[in-house]
Amino acid sequence: MALEAYRRDMEGCSRCSSCKWVPMSQMKSHRFSQVCPSISRYHFHSFAGSGKLMLGLSLLDNRIEMNDSVADVAYKCTLCGACDANCKVYRDDIDIAEVIEEIRATCVENGQFFAEHQMMIDDLKRENNVFGEPKNARGDWAEGLGLKDANAQKVDVLFHAGCRFSYDEDLLGVIRGAATLIRDAGVDLGVAGKAESCCGGRAFGLGFRGDGKNFAEDMAVRVKSSGAKVLLTPCADCYGAFKYAYRRMGVDLGVQVMHISEYLKALAANGKINFKNRVDRKITYHDPCHLGRRSEPYAGPWEGNKLLRPASRKRDGRKGVYDAPRDLLRSIPGIRLVEMERIREYSWCCGAGGGVWEADQELSDFAARERIEEALTTGADALATSCPWCERNLRDAAESMGAGIEVLDVTELVARSIKGEVIS
Amino acid sequence: MTFPISTKTIPDEAVSRFREALGDENFSTDPVICDGYAMQPFHKTEPGCWINRPLAVTLPSSTEEVQAIVKICIQHGLRYKAHSTGWGAHGGAGYDNVVQIDLRRMNKILEWDEKNRYVVVEPYVNCAEIQAEAMKRGFNIHIHGAGSVCSPLANATSHCGMGWSGISTSTSSRNILGVEWVLPSGEVLKLGTCGSISESAGSRWFSADGPGPSMRGIMRGWAGADGGLGVFTKMSMKLFHWAGPKETAVKGRLQDLVVEKPDNFRITLCAFPDARSYADALFKVGEAEIGFLQCKNSVALMLGAMMPRMLRKIHASMNVKKILDACRHQFMFTIAATSDLDYQYQSQCLEKIVDDHGGIVLDAPAPLHSLMYWSFVRVSLPPVVFRMGGNFFSTFGGDEAFDNCMEQARIGEEIKRQFIASKACFDDLADNPWALIYENGLFGHSEELWFYDHRDPEMGRQVDDYAKACADATLEHTLGGGGFAFFKGGEVHDILGPAMSNYHIWQRRIKKALDPNDLSDSKFYISSD
Repeated sequence: MALEAYRRDMEGCSRCSSCKWVPMSQMKSHRFSQVCPSISRYHFHSFAGSGKLMLGLSLLDNRIEMNDSVADVAYKCTLCGACDANCKVYRDDIDIAEVIEEIRATCVENGQFFAEHQMMIDDLKRENNVFGEPKNARGDWAEGLGLKDANAQKVDVLFHAGCRFSYDEDLLGVIRGAATLIRDAGVDLGVAGKAESCCGGRAFGLGFRGDGKNFAEDMAVRVKSSGAKVLLTPCADCYGAFKYAYRRMGVDLGVQVMHISEYLKALAANGKINFKNRVDRKITYHDPCHLGRRSEPYAGPWEGNKLLRPASRKRDGRKGVYDAPRDLLRSIPGIRLVEMERIREYSWCCGAGGGVWEADQELSDFAARERIEEALTTGADALATSCPWCERNLRDAAESMGAGIEVLDVTELVARSIKGEVIS
Repeated sequence: MTFPISTKTIPDEAVSRFREALGDENFSTDPVICDGYAMQPFHKTEPGCWINRPLAVTLPSSTEEVQAIVKICIQHGLRYKAHSTGWGAHGGAGYDNVVQIDLRRMNKILEWDEKNRYVVVEPYVNCAEIQAEAMKRGFNIHIHGAGSVCSPLANATSHCGMGWSGISTSTSSRNILGVEWVLPSGEVLKLGTCGSISESAGSRWFSADGPGPSMRGIMRGWAGADGGLGVFTKMSMKLFHWAGPKETAVKGRLQDLVVEKPDNFRITLCAFPDARSYADALFKVGEAEIGFLQCKNSVALMLGAMMPRMLRKIHASMNVKKILDACRHQFMFTIAATSDLDYQYQSQCLEKIVDDHGGIVLDAPAPLHSLMYWSFVRVSLPPVVFRMGGNFFSTFGGDEAFDNCMEQARIGEEIKRQFIASKACFDDLADNPWALIYENGLFGHSEELWFYDHRDPEMGRQVDDYAKACADATLEHTLGGGGFAFFKGGEVHDILGPAMSNYHIWQRRIKKALDPNDLSDSKFYISSD
């Protein structure tokens, strides 16, 4: 789909500004009423979801030229989808997030993007990961865990760690603990080790469509050859790519895709894991955008007038994964779950997505610190999440703020309850 | 249709001064940024969605910075236009030499005075934010019909707005208790609460205008100047008693809302056999001084807004249309009681009045409580009117005695049927979509909304014709205030004025006295000559 295909979406904006705030019905305070990090930081309307619709239309109508400023607006955005979900409280015929993706693709076609993103794409092509780390080290995290090699053996469940979990040493304990939980539940689990590569979601989100599709197709081949029935990932970013971006790119994985929170919940329901030990913590939960609203499956393009598009074909964010991680937390004896104001499909983004963490550290920090401040108002002593990117960014923000709040992965808390100790 | 882009530029010296006053980050002449203020399809009578692109965009954070912007504009002969939350063409540049003042950095709630029942806010605070904070203190506010996504300051100082709670909280212009106003000269004028400076003594004016002659008529008149008379930077607004809980647990967002209705709230639909009994009953309801919320939301509007595809299908069935037509004469009525006795009293009054007029009181069934309670209290529904066709426009809405409002509705229906036939708008059964009384029936309000798709060239072309037909009817049938015909600005004032005490002459004099060079963008107000 080219930008032109979204002309009616862009022309249809009524500029009501619902894209800037949490849903009016859900507004609980003046302090935490905003939902879009980009407009909250940069203020000019162009940075809002509505403004980006205008940006795209302005390009199409040749009112502005493709230049650095266009890229600046297009990429100073975490592509978190909050604008899209909140617009759709009212509108059936506007897909803001898809428009932003198309603007970015147009930027790339015209060579207008940030240098940091080019570096990331170069790293990706060279080392199969977004950090430029050696591809041979990708599977090191699983060393000694005795997981099956999915390249050599058939498996029921293929475990995809993702770039962040594969290379972030601070999160090594999280990923090892998560895989161990699944293994110990008796699941026929395998990993691709150094053959695993990036899901390609970042490339797609930045507008590098060809590169994104290459990685997606490579992933599909790997999944098929593993014989897996389930593709399991602890990374929300990868999950969102599998569920949404792959379908946008026309790549069918042909297996069930599950986030680890969904899988652990299913294991608990089947009695395969038991929460034996108390974890006496007051926890608040941060919804990763790519596990929540951005993971809602893509139903395909709608030909014709979107005013006539049935609600079932509208991605309004509600069909993301919100309950599984919360249900897990509630299942753990001793945990008291307290919610922040901005949750579920109107959650505030951590600031790590959409290429912002790589290229606009200021916006990334701004978003993360805002989230930490919101978490602190709940009185929680820890903030749990289900995405390594969120975890990294929020941990860094909490530390730099001296906030005194621990940032954890939900699986860490699950592991503590099951094993009674931190697994590393 | 693409709107022509101005070839005018802003003088280098002015750019330097803006940057100096605001900082580089808060000023831009970049077309990429400025075009973010050039698309306003709502309340636009010309086809297409683009309006004038401002020459520059400014982001002031204080009254002093707003003053600086206005003074730079005066010095360089530039027009300026401020907007708050910025919804609608009336918030954008009306001409090709305008500096847009985006007030979104002025977003603070400055002061709560619970004893004297007012709150002082900056321009960018929206109604939902204030209401959420007010409820924690046991108060509520008036929320105008555009809904809680909008700025109450913008609506009350510069526009007009009647909300669902008008029966108990009046209309936005009557909720102003003071303003801080950057005049077109660049000077600051403070009125009412905002004008009394004895903060340290702990006393402030809590009347609308403070001592001396009232400036409210000059400041906003009936419909507001829509940015044509300077910039409002603070407003003190009324707080009302809130009979509901301080915090409300809400699940969902709009159509999927789950909220528990408090026991002291009664939500009803009152239906009548004909227009006369409906109107007479509303008069009596007003006289009885009961009720928290009252409004007619036409069945077709609700269907069109919530289930637009279904409404289109209904048009295929004449019988279903007839059934819906039979539901025209109804209004929603909500009681928010402060005691059991109050609940009984208000309920019995309502039941007797409705019964006396041959109507019936239907209590909203529990499944509808969430939507009918919280959506109307929070006023979170309004943007849903874009669902049916992507856009809407409004005419009439001149606040008058309710009899006159009923006449507006009757004539509005006739006009709308013609435009439905010519495919200028979607078929909403031509039922008057929105009508209410406020101040316990002292005034009524009736708006004739029509729903269209501005992306459809034929519909877009007829918007102006439709608005003009309604303005003409206002004159021909003596329907009172010009209402939303005012979206045509001076052109309409000059047509309506002679029939209404020549108000347009006074308006023009005010404009000339305050803004002799016509720099405060008056596209939606009136020019000085």
